[in-house]
Amino acid sequence: MSTQVPADLSEATVHEIANRRDEPDWLRETRLKALKAMDRLEMPDVIQTPGRRWTNLDQLDFDELADPLNQEDVTERVTDEGVEVLPFTEAVEQHPELMQAKFGSVIDPETNYLTALSVALFTTGTLIYIPEGVDAEDVTIRTEMNSRSLFSHTLVVTESSSSVTILERISTGDADADIEGERYYSNLVEVDAGENSYVQYGSLQTLDEDTYNVTMKRGDASVYSTINWIEGNIGSQLTRSDIETELNGDSSESKIVGAFFGHDDQHFDVNARVWHQAEHTTADLVTRGVLDDRARSVYEGVQDVGRDAWDTNSYQRENTLMLSDDSEADASPKLIINNHDTEASHSATVGQVDREDLFYLTSRTIPERDARNMLVEGFFVPVLEEVEVDELREDLEAQIAARLRE
Amino acid sequence: MSSDQDHLKETDTEARFEFKKEERSSFQAEKGLTEETIRVISEDKGEPEWMLKRRLRALEQFQEMPMPTDWPGQPDLSEVDVNDIIPYIRPDVETRESVDDWTDLPDDIKDTFDKLGIPEAEKNALSGVGAQYESEVVYQNMQEQWEEKGVIFCNMDEAVQEHEDLVREHFMTKCVPPSDNKFAALHGAIWSGGSFVYVPEDTTVNMPVQAYFRMNSEGMGQFEHTLIIAEEGSEVHYIEGCSAPKYSAFNLHSGGVEVFVGEDAHVQYSTVQNWSKNTYNLNTKRALVEEDGRMEWISGSMGSKATMLYPSTVLKGRGASDNHITIAFAGEGQNIDTGAKVYHNAPNTKSTIESKSISKDGGRTNYRGLVHIADGASNSSTSVECDALMFDNESTSDTMPYMEINESTVDVAHEATVGKIGDEDVFYLQSRGLDDDDAKQMIVSGFIEPITEELPIEYAVELNRLVELEMEGSLG
Repeated sequence: MSTQVPADLSEATVHEIANRRDEPDWLRETRLKALKAMDRLEMPDVIQTPGRRWTNLDQLDFDELADPLNQEDVTERVTDEGVEVLPFTEAVEQHPELMQAKFGSVIDPETNYLTALSVALFTTGTLIYIPEGVDAEDVTIRTEMNSRSLFSHTLVVTESSSSVTILERISTGDADADIEGERYYSNLVEVDAGENSYVQYGSLQTLDEDTYNVTMKRGDASVYSTINWIEGNIGSQLTRSDIETELNGDSSESKIVGAFFGHDDQHFDVNARVWHQAEHTTADLVTRGVLDDRARSVYEGVQDVGRDAWDTNSYQRENTLMLSDDSEADASPKLIINNHDTEASHSATVGQVDREDLFYLTSRTIPERDARNMLVEGFFVPVLEEVEVDELREDLEAQIAARLRE
Repeated sequence: MSSDQDHLKETDTEARFEFKKEERSSFQAEKGLTEETIRVISEDKGEPEWMLKRRLRALEQFQEMPMPTDWPGQPDLSEVDVNDIIPYIRPDVETRESVDDWTDLPDDIKDTFDKLGIPEAEKNALSGVGAQYESEVVYQNMQEQWEEKGVIFCNMDEAVQEHEDLVREHFMTKCVPPSDNKFAALHGAIWSGGSFVYVPEDTTVNMPVQAYFRMNSEGMGQFEHTLIIAEEGSEVHYIEGCSAPKYSAFNLHSGGVEVFVGEDAHVQYSTVQNWSKNTYNLNTKRALVEEDGRMEWISGSMGSKATMLYPSTVLKGRGASDNHITIAFAGEGQNIDTGAKVYHNAPNTKSTIESKSISKDGGRTNYRGLVHIADGASNSSTSVECDALMFDNESTSDTMPYMEINESTVDVAHEATVGKIGDEDVFYLQSRGLDDDDAKQMIVSGFIEPITEELPIEYAVELNRLVELEMEGSLG
C-alpha cells in the first residue's frame, strides 16, 4: 500500500523551496530524489494484531495537511562556546563538505513515505556541530510552528571526544489564529556521534491538539560514544515518534528515555529501538506514560542484538498509568537476539495509581485529588532524573503539573 | 515407585521415536486437496450431510485465504504446498471402529505403540487412552468407572455419529471457526480422527486421559480434531503426545483443539510434541472459559521443523482464569514460533503465562503472544514471563509480546529475559566432578523445572528425557 502523493506536490514545489532558500545543487537533488521515491515508499510499519491496527496513519490526508510553500516558523537557536549552531541556509555555506557528507547519512530519506516527504519539503533546519574535544552545554533550539504544515530537519555532528547537551522545544505559535482545522508537523533528527563523544538530545513537544506530529530521531554511535535521548510528548492530536540508536561502534552506549501524558482523545504511538551491532555495547530503554480521558498510547520497543554483538547488555522498561477507564494502552516490547553472549531483559506494566499509596496519603489528610497528583508526579521522577538540561526538566515538570490540574 | 516406572527405561534411545513401519493402508486419498477428495473422505467415513457441508465451506475459505507470510520473523512456510501431501490415510485395521484391546490391533501398529510405551502408561497412570495412527484412531479405551459416571471419551469420527447434537453445536462453530486462519480452514476441510471428551456436571476425572498421535507414512498430513466439553463444576486433564519418524519429504500436522470450560470447571491440556524434524506443525488451539472456570495449557515443543502454535484462551465469564506454561526447544534447522493468546472479556479475570525457550545449533525460538483486556474487564490481572536460554552464536531467540489494555483497574505485567548458560554455573558444577555435558544438562533441567513440575511424574520424566536427547545430539 503506497500512499498517493498529494496532487499539488510536484517537482516545481520542491524547486520553489530550494530556490527561495538558495540551496546548493546536491541538496536540491536530494530533495527531488526523495520526492520521486514517494511513489513507491510505504507508510511506516504499524503494529497489527488479529482484527486490530494500533495506529491509523492512513487518516493523514496530505492534500489537506501539506501546504509546503506557506511554511512559517520562529526558531530560536542558543549556542555555547566553541560550538556551531546554524540554520541550514548558513550551514551549507559555511560547512559545505560536512553538510553534504552527513545530511541523510543516519536517516535514509527513503526510509518510508513520511521521511521522504519531510526531506523533500523541509523549510527549517539546524546544524549543531561540536568540534573535537569541545564540551558544550544547553544548546537550545526552540521552534514555534506558525503554519498549516511545517517540515523540520536537525543534524547533530560531534567530533571525537566532544560532548553536548541539547534541548529541543517544539510548540505552536500564537500567530495561528487564522489557521483552522488540522495541521502537520514533521521532524527528522540525525545524530552522528564521533568516537568517544557524548550527546544528550532532550526534546519536549507541546503542539496544539489539532496537530499531527511525526518525528523520527536516529543516532549512529561510534566507538566509545554515548547517545542519550529524552523524548517528552504532551501536545498534538496524534504523535508518531520513532527514537532509534544504532550502536555501530564497540563499547558504545545509548539510553532512550520517553515520557508522555495524554488526555482527551490524544493518540501517542511511541517507538524506541536500538540495534546492537558491535561488541560490549549497552542500551537502556525507559518509557513512562500517563493516560487520562479517552487518550490512547501505543508503544513498541525493540532491542535487536546482531550476530556480532558480543558481550551485549540491553534493558527495557515501559510503564503506563491509566487515570481513566476510557483510555487504552497497547504495548509490545520486543527482543530479537542473535548472539548468546547477551544479557537482555524487558518489562512492561500497565496499571492505575496504587490504592494503598492513595489510602496512605489520604489518611494523612491530603485530599484525594492532590494525593493522586502527587503520585502521578512521582511516577515521572525516574524519567525526570535522567534529564541533564535544567530548563527541560523544569518545563516537563510544569507541563505535567498543569495537565494534572486542568 | 521405581517398578511403576520401569517402562520409562525404554525411553532411553532415540530409536523409540525414529523407527519406521512399512506403509500399509486400506484406503489412501490422492495427493492434494479438491472438493472431490473431501467428498470421498466424508463418504468413506459415512458422515452426515451437515458435516460434509461444513468441510466444503471450510475448503472454500481455505482457498480464499492468503498464506501468512508477513509476520515479523515467522517460520518460512514456502515449502508447505498442500497439493503435495496425502491428506488422508486409513490404516489397515480390520474393523472400522477403533478397538479397545491392544491385542486386536495388527502387529506392526501394536508394536509401534508398545515401543512408545503407551499401553504401559495406560496401566499405570491414565483414566483412558486413545491412539491415532495416520488419519484414524485405532485404539480407544477408558476405565469403566468413568463410563458409569457418564464421561465420554471416544474418537472424533465416532462422536459425529454417536453424539451428533453435541458435536454439531460445538464443532468449529463458536470456538475455532474455519475462518480463524488459513490452517484452521484447511483443518476444517480435511480433519480426521482426534478425540471427543465430555465430562458431565460435577464430575472429577482424577487421572489424566491421553491421546497419542503417530504419523508413519512419508508425505502425509495429519489433521486430528479434539473437542473437550467440561460441564459445570467438572474437572479433567487431557494429555496429547505426538511423534513421527523422519523422512526427507515434509509432513504437515495441522490439528484443531476446542475446549469448552463450563462454570467453575477446570481443564488442563498438556502436550508433549515430538514430531520429526521434517514436520510442519501448524495448530489452532482455543478454550472458551465460563464464570470461575479455569483453563491450563501446558506444552512442550521439542520436535518439528517449524511450529506455529499459540494456544488461546477466551475468558468469557466473571472470575475465569487461565494459566499457560510453554517450553520450546529449537535445535539445528528448527524454528519454534510459539506463545499464548488470552482475551480478558469479563471482570475479575486472571491469566498467567510462563514461557521458557532454549535455542542451540542455529535453532530459532520465538515467543509471540497477545494479551487483550477488553473495556469492562475491570479488576483483571495478567502476568507474562518469558525466559530464553541460548547456547551459541548461531542461534536466535526472539520475544514479541503484544498487550492491548482497554481498562484502567487492571494489573498488567510483562517480563522477559534472555541469556546464555552461565560459564560460572558450568564451572561450579564441573568443580563438583560433573563433566561439561552433564553440567549443561543439569542447568537446562533446572531451567525448565517450573514446567516439568506441573506435569504428572511420568510425563515430567519423559520431557526431561527428550530434552536430554536433544542435548546429546549436540554435545556428544
